[in-house]
Amino acid sequence: MLRHLSAVWSARYFLLALVKLDLRLRYRRSMLGIGWSLLNPIAMTIVFTVVFSQLFGDGDPVGYAAFALAGLAVWGFLRDAATQGSKALLMSEAYIRQSPLPYTVYTLRTVLGQAIHSSLALVVVVALVVFWKSDASVFLGLLVALPGLVLVLISAWAIATIAAFATAFFHDTAHLLEVGCQIGFFLTPLMYRRSMLDDRGLGWLVDINPVNHYLALIRDPLLTGHFPPGEWYVSGFILTVALVGLAVGTVGWLQKKVIFHL
Amino acid sequence: MAKIELVNASITFKTHQRKRVSLKEYLLRGLFRQSVNPVMQVRALDNINLSARDGERIGVIGHNGAGKSTLLKLLAGIYPTTGGTREVEGRICSLFDITLGFEVEATGWDNILYRAYLQGETPRSIRSKMNSIAEFSELGAFLNIPVRNYSAGMMMRLAFSIATSIDPDVLLIDEVLAVGDLAFQAKAKARMRELMSTARLMVIVAHELDTIREMCTRVLWMRHGQVVMQGPPNEVVDAYIAAMSATCAPQTQAA
Repeated sequence: MLRHLSAVWSARYFLLALVKLDLRLRYRRSMLGIGWSLLNPIAMTIVFTVVFSQLFGDGDPVGYAAFALAGLAVWGFLRDAATQGSKALLMSEAYIRQSPLPYTVYTLRTVLGQAIHSSLALVVVVALVVFWKSDASVFLGLLVALPGLVLVLISAWAIATIAAFATAFFHDTAHLLEVGCQIGFFLTPLMYRRSMLDDRGLGWLVDINPVNHYLALIRDPLLTGHFPPGEWYVSGFILTVALVGLAVGTVGWLQKKVIFHL
Repeated sequence: MAKIELVNASITFKTHQRKRVSLKEYLLRGLFRQSVNPVMQVRALDNINLSARDGERIGVIGHNGAGKSTLLKLLAGIYPTTGGTREVEGRICSLFDITLGFEVEATGWDNILYRAYLQGETPRSIRSKMNSIAEFSELGAFLNIPVRNYSAGMMMRLAFSIATSIDPDVLLIDEVLAVGDLAFQAKAKARMRELMSTARLMVIVAHELDTIREMCTRVLWMRHGQVVMQGPPNEVVDAYIAAMSATCAPQTQAA
């Protein structure tokens, strides 16, 4: 595994150049350019503040908007890691057939691009919270959320890698993932608060939802500036290790076979 | 020190008559033994033993589908061995499929960067090479526009210029590349000769037997993924021609 990572490291210039290209292409020929990455969460904020806070909020529209936006940023990042990442190997076939780079470079390429995109949404959240609470404690929250952000980045790479290998063998995987994400969106407390489920005795749905572990480590400290309970760190860490283990297993098992299936 | 060491190297892979297997089929196959899409075992390389050191020029001959290109891709580290071992030491330059993998939306200059990084250059090492690559490709102002707008010949020029810009220890060449127009072809040939003389170790796949005879120090004759014969160029090429004319002769008479 260490040898694999050092091979990825030695491809860093290649990787970063392509990530930069992907970001540039994302907004090719658009007037706002990277501004769209910012405008999207800003527009969402308006909708959340005006409409959804009436449905799910607790009389605090801006607070609700920050809550929903932070949740959606984390959720969207993990979703894209799975759905976009699943296409990484198929789309990089030309490189794979030309160069002996480790395959995880290509999944990391998609994940890094999305990480930059998602962090712009988090910037809006931070701005919102500063405005909402009118104090700078959110920067402390950002610091507290840092371990969670690192964990979610590693997990996203693992998820993208697993999904990419699965898709190379079964093209159905991409569709399965889309359906799964759709369901996951409604089962995860993104638009509504956890308490709504707890009231109806459905709290266990949240406890068994892996995404919720990352939300607890990122969204909650960002909004409150407080450390989440220690057990969330433990469970988030275990979850990440499990995902990485699964990804390492997948790579070890399939990396010698996948080129014949592309 | 450049070195190639293949010990009983084999590549076997399974493929299906229809290319894809659906998830449904994969699950069903466990229940009902009969599949409408049977697995085919392809033995692309079969127990290849090859040992080469500095200074050797190895030619690979054989009919189409004999496994010559697969052998090169194995040496380049693109195909994994499914049996035996592969060991290649030294910086590898592979000249095959070079027009694949352009980022078509990016400019020629950017693609030079991506390719060079892919070949293991660093930002510092590439700086001095950028201009010589651009100059060799003769694409001039076209390097400022996206590769999407290039003609096939222009892409080939760019790909060739980048691929041959490194100083390889091990040079792997598939067929004689037909690069661009006549003027560029002459230049490309000269560049190839230069590479061949500086590379420490070379493996070339070619159909032009005369080239093989004059250039190589050893020739490998392959058939159905196996090495039929290995030895001095003239000996192997003569045997190959004899075998070919023996199999082709009845057909020519019939025609």
